[in-house]
Amino acid sequence: MRTLSGSLLLTFRELWAMRLTQAMFAVATLAWVLLSFALNMDVVEGSLAAIRIFGFETQPTSGVWDEAAGEYVKQAVSLDQFMIGINTFVVGAAYFLGTMLGLFATMPLVNGFLEQGRVDLLLSKPLSRSRLLLGHLIGVWITVGVLSAYLVGGVWLSMAVKTGFWLPEVLWAIPIISIMFAVMYSVILFFGVGTRSSGLGLVVAYGLVFVSVILASHEAIIPVLSDTSVVIFKGLYHALPNFAEVVKILAQLVAQEDVTTWYPLISSLLFGGAVHALAFFWFLKRDF
Amino acid sequence: MPAPEAPVIDIRGLDKTYVSGFRRRKVHALKGVDLTVQPGEVLGILGPNGAGKTTLLKVLLGIVSPSAGQARLFGQPAGHPAARARLGYLPENHRFPPYLTARQTLDVYGRLADLTHNERTERIPRLLEEVGLASWEDVRVGKFSKGMMQRLGLAQALLNRPEIVVLDEPTDGVDPVGRRDIRDRLRALRAAGTTVVINSHLLSEIELVCDRVLIMNRGRIIRSGSVDDVARQNTGWRIQLTDLPPTFDAAAWGAVIEESGSSLILENGDPDNLNRLIDALRSDGRTILGVERHRSSLEAGFIDLITSEDGNAPRTEGGAS
Repeated sequence: MRTLSGSLLLTFRELWAMRLTQAMFAVATLAWVLLSFALNMDVVEGSLAAIRIFGFETQPTSGVWDEAAGEYVKQAVSLDQFMIGINTFVVGAAYFLGTMLGLFATMPLVNGFLEQGRVDLLLSKPLSRSRLLLGHLIGVWITVGVLSAYLVGGVWLSMAVKTGFWLPEVLWAIPIISIMFAVMYSVILFFGVGTRSSGLGLVVAYGLVFVSVILASHEAIIPVLSDTSVVIFKGLYHALPNFAEVVKILAQLVAQEDVTTWYPLISSLLFGGAVHALAFFWFLKRDF
Repeated sequence: MPAPEAPVIDIRGLDKTYVSGFRRRKVHALKGVDLTVQPGEVLGILGPNGAGKTTLLKVLLGIVSPSAGQARLFGQPAGHPAARARLGYLPENHRFPPYLTARQTLDVYGRLADLTHNERTERIPRLLEEVGLASWEDVRVGKFSKGMMQRLGLAQALLNRPEIVVLDEPTDGVDPVGRRDIRDRLRALRAAGTTVVINSHLLSEIELVCDRVLIMNRGRIIRSGSVDDVARQNTGWRIQLTDLPPTFDAAAWGAVIEESGSSLILENGDPDNLNRLIDALRSDGRTILGVERHRSSLEAGFIDLITSEDGNAPRTEGGAS
């Protein structure tokens, strides 16, 4: 346990020493402080009469079909609707930006860990290679988990306190961001262990995020593809992480709707598990 | 009669072949290495770049896996965590996280070495004192010079009170005073019965501290013995005389004329050859002022061995450091 704590401590200290991690804490702080102080709402009978952001006022309305008049009429947005909307936007942004920035911030860690002269010193200690790598991974996962909890939890808390509207479903974003970060981090780890170039891993991870945006439109794309292309497209859809599609699950959870399908999250988890296993296997076997 | 102690290191028929690149180029770093190291022995490993010295140490630590043969440390397969718990290692060009202070570095590596809080609290200040870094304990390692990094690396290697210390180029980048301190530290380890394995390019360091020297070239051990044994390969005679005959053919006698011009080194230690040369010089009217045994330095012995080895063997395959 002491040896694992040493590996964890080394990862935490390294992450803290990297200014990017501190910058991410600063950005998260800025996000929820801005939402706390810059956003003001006038609520009248459960509906939003006006919103002021940095002193600029607007009247949020939505179009509702009036049967009697036979036309759309403007109507004040309900507080519930507004809060779900803004929280969905915030967690969606946190999901994409948080994960991408998190990968960027933690990428150099793999290079540092596997640097010649450092990895051989670590490997000479009386702990197994798997435990050494596990200590590194747990350290990264915990840090990103804390970061996402700080960002999402902070935003959720400040909004809830300000409006009195408590939407605990927002907190689903914390485990989902952490899990999807871990899935994408496995790619950086795999390429880092194999090639000692975590930069290559980051490029591939970002590439997979981009591909996942295309894969997320599978229902619209598949009908226009040839038979062979459909097979390839479906193969990629099932084999690669469905990073972009997971945000739909998150949005449905925040909107208190039934989740249509958990498949994108499950297939992404399987991908992450397989790539982690490969990275571990490679780390256990390779010479340093 | 007491049973002989089990060797600390026991290596049999060890081969290591690296395969690299798309063309799967093979590099034979170790070829049939056999080695045993007894408890308390101080072994120096010498060899040119690419001889396989570092690979040998890395196999022993489990950092590199062997292609064939076996390596055992304290009776356990090389790389077994239980064996590594009894070992201290200072790698060549080691790197510590630059953001940690000297004390924090030893604390982290002490945890990794499975030392308790009390053990770390007791040993870290003492070791920093011993390697001359006590006044630098709260300075970040990133500000350290190469020599200070070596001292810190040595302290790190000694944290767990190891029974064997493996040092890869321990005096690399260290100033003469620092080198002397490290030598003293190694002598203290030897006195305490600790087994030490040193890989160094500085032959004088090896000569001063090691009981046994092992010379490697192209992945093989080409000589193993005491410093005297290795140096004595070239034991000859030094002959001092008034002056040399102008037509004296030194090469024909297997001799080398020293810079002064008034002494000869007869590289062949055969006494008959020595007497024939003395007779020839005296018959030419030269006065012999003195004759003494000449022992070449370890460096000379090492260079001769490597040169003759390279001269005999075609260089078809590269080695690895």
